[in-house]
Amino acid sequence: MIFFILLTLIVYQAYVQLQKFCQKAWLNPMLLSILTLIPLLVFFNIPFEHYYEATTVLNGLLEPAVVALGFPLYQHIQTIKKQWRQIVILLFVGAVITIAISFCITIYTINQYEIAVSLSLKSVTTPIGIALTEQLSGNNSITAFAIILAGLFGALLGPPWLSFINVTSPKAQGLAIGAASHALGTATISRLSYEHAAYSSLALIISAVVTAIFSPIIIKILVHFL
Amino acid sequence: MFSHIIYSILSVGICLLAGKAIEYFLPILPASLYGMMIFTALLHYRFLNAKRIQPCIEWAIANMAVCFVPAGVGIINHFELIKSHGFMLITIIFLTTFLLLTFVGITYQRQLNRHNPTIKKELNN
Repeated sequence: MIFFILLTLIVYQAYVQLQKFCQKAWLNPMLLSILTLIPLLVFFNIPFEHYYEATTVLNGLLEPAVVALGFPLYQHIQTIKKQWRQIVILLFVGAVITIAISFCITIYTINQYEIAVSLSLKSVTTPIGIALTEQLSGNNSITAFAIILAGLFGALLGPPWLSFINVTSPKAQGLAIGAASHALGTATISRLSYEHAAYSSLALIISAVVTAIFSPIIIKILVHFL
Repeated sequence: MFSHIIYSILSVGICLLAGKAIEYFLPILPASLYGMMIFTALLHYRFLNAKRIQPCIEWAIANMAVCFVPAGVGIINHFELIKSHGFMLITIIFLTTFLLLTFVGITYQRQLNRHNPTIKKELNN
């Protein structure tokens, strides 16, 4: 058990050093660790369940890690207080639109309700995503898969894309990535600045609430009309 | 230094426990999110000493990404899924994630620019 934890930590730390040495943003240690460990497990025929059980400690540390993200949020509370109404409305609209569009596109292309539900729940933090998936009869595996991908896409490609389209303020970047890539995005973007992290955490919370409350309603309405 | 570490761990731990308690009665959000809000509130109202906690939290946040690695490796379980609908799924996930990113990013950036035209000028210089 310790072996897999150590392995994960060593691989991760190696890539951290590599990134420091090469100074390239795309040498993301988390992504590279995942891309290294997957072939290793496959090659040595180690079942994922085995690895997952062994690294439960790491996974368990996610909860306190998310709590810790409250610190950047605290540091920026004053500025956030002034704009919280706009932020909530914006995130509400964004979440609703994305849930609806994801659901509809999936129905039109793949035409399977289960998959459509799972894909529309991807921009929310994992525990909520899974809970809602069960509530709405989606497919847990697909939701988990989609959540991870949404997290990775937003975390790694989000900041360069946003800068490219002239979204340069750390607040806007943070908010966008927190909304689309939940905790994974927030953790990655906090390396840029605490302002990024604060707005990302904020978006994470608000999107989670909006999705949790409104996704069942939205999906039921869509099912009715499609 | 050591006492700061213990203090930080205890603070986060207590917030998380409180979060679990709230989750029990209000299962809308996971415990960690309630914990995050409690943590922020306690810091804001000065029940917790931000200076003592800061170094530990900074270290934690800088290194937290490693905790996502096991979850990410979990994609292994979905190879079959990727084989059947893979390309379409990934495309939809990619496009809709970027849709959300772009929408929130651009809209909020516009609002910020409207409120602070001087900042926009500084950024362009």
